[in-house]
Amino acid sequence: MAAVEDLLEFLPGADCRQCGASCAEFARLLLARELTPEDCPVLHEPDYAGFIEALHELLGPLAAAAGMRIDPEKCNGCGICVAMCEFHLGNCAAARLGKGPRPQDQVVFRVVNGTVVVVRQELCTRLVQAAEKCSKCAQYCPTEAIELF
Amino acid sequence: MGVRHESIICPGCGCLCDDLDVTVEGDRIVEVTNVCLWGVSRFFHAKKFHPKKERHRLLTPRVRHQGRWEMVSYDAALAEAAQVMSRARRPLIYGLTNSGSFAQEAALKLARTLRARLEPADLAFKAPYYRSIQQHGLDWAPLEVIRDEADAVLFWGANPIHSAPRHVVRYAAFARGRFTERGIEDRQVAAVDIYQTELARFCPLFIKINPGQELDLVLGAAAILAGEPPPDPVVRGVRRLAQFLANASCGVIFCGRGVSYGPALELFDRLARLVGFLNREKRFFLFPLSGDFNSSGLYHLLLNEVGGAGAPDFGAGELATHSLPVNFREVDAVLVAGADLLWFLPEEQVGDLKRRRVPIVVLSPFANRTTGQAAVILPTALAGIETVEVAYRMDGLPLVLKQLVPSALPPDHQALTDLHRLIGAQD
Repeated sequence: MAAVEDLLEFLPGADCRQCGASCAEFARLLLARELTPEDCPVLHEPDYAGFIEALHELLGPLAAAAGMRIDPEKCNGCGICVAMCEFHLGNCAAARLGKGPRPQDQVVFRVVNGTVVVVRQELCTRLVQAAEKCSKCAQYCPTEAIELF
Repeated sequence: MGVRHESIICPGCGCLCDDLDVTVEGDRIVEVTNVCLWGVSRFFHAKKFHPKKERHRLLTPRVRHQGRWEMVSYDAALAEAAQVMSRARRPLIYGLTNSGSFAQEAALKLARTLRARLEPADLAFKAPYYRSIQQHGLDWAPLEVIRDEADAVLFWGANPIHSAPRHVVRYAAFARGRFTERGIEDRQVAAVDIYQTELARFCPLFIKINPGQELDLVLGAAAILAGEPPPDPVVRGVRRLAQFLANASCGVIFCGRGVSYGPALELFDRLARLVGFLNREKRFFLFPLSGDFNSSGLYHLLLNEVGGAGAPDFGAGELATHSLPVNFREVDAVLVAGADLLWFLPEEQVGDLKRRRVPIVVLSPFANRTTGQAAVILPTALAGIETVEVAYRMDGLPLVLKQLVPSALPPDHQALTDLHRLIGAQD
């Protein structure tokens, strides 16, 4: 799994803040999928040719490496994963109480038409804070519909 | 872009979840969030737990003549149904646990006029529970109190993952409440069942018993809690169960439909006695876990109107309320609403009804096993989706279900009221 350090190798490292952040902060935002490599204006200069592609390569497999696979055939939409998610615990009051998230809530996944769908995978604690041990969604899923890898 | 309705109540199961967001485009529901597969089957006309298998929607009233279906008008089907029911000597009105409260009231009025017996679909499960309440008192709390305070949850013969999928998330095991701030980490969850269920994934104490051992298990746990040795035969897990109950400061026992496959009357009696004993030192509740969305509403109505939570029989001169299921051999006409009678009956009873050519009148939005054998079919609108209804949550909280999409079909209560009017006019 790529870390901030790996991404920094392909960033200018000048902390010019043309993107609004330092290079380290930019790398973190890349990991969180809030920014893309194209958002760094310096990387578009000829001296950095190939860096954007390299970052995409690092980030591309990253999403899959820290991802989750939900089997819609097994999922029964009980929403245990939504209630147990570490990110929701701190950021979604409704899910904390066992209710479904409101439409405006920023959540990792929500139950749509009886099946859990990933809405913003980049918010998953496993991805953002390197808390790789969090696997509560899969651990408590009664139908074993969630597979983490 | 469709219209989004927020915080809609789901008419899927007894939980009546009130946090659904439904998107409607024109007359069609296109998206429902925060809904389990149980609810999906109602919103999208699919089979239970099989969202891709569509259920055939009934749209035209039908009457069976000489073994063949005939599509008829609503009035003609109503007249045929009125004739079938009023001609019967021992008519039965069956089901109603998946109907709204308006329909249940109309059905009760119809039962009085017809001098019929009204049989709730889950009588074998719920009647013993209400009998135990009468004998040992009501140990009850709203689901929100259970969510906030219960630190021990025991599922007995219940599998909420199948009967009420969001029950464990919203109230029982995972929800975080006032005194259960860490959710399942602040609770002990246990289950007793005759086979391993999905609950084993998050129940550290799962006691698998053999059929017939349930009474001994309760008796043994009660004895251990009273400081006595458990009487023979000692069921495996009884000590762990007693320890589980003793450790709780506030607890709840959710009994599922599995209870009704054994000696339900005695089991509920012993469980109620055990809960009464536990209540001397701590708060403990006993709850039936309803799968049908308005089962509680029906029993509330029966308690208010006829004074007993059973099957009222208006045909026996004096009103009698039965706790035991009806003997279908005595029945000569059946009206089914809010249930699939032939799905629940054993094959031999289904065969008996067919052999005796007992006419069946069905009010249903979908085709099912019962409509396949019916004499008269009256298609109705979906309660709580296509028509306004009232339903009682499993803890007895009445909630109003909104209409989301229009329907050309009459609601259950209108069909029953029209039938009642017609039968009254015939008399």
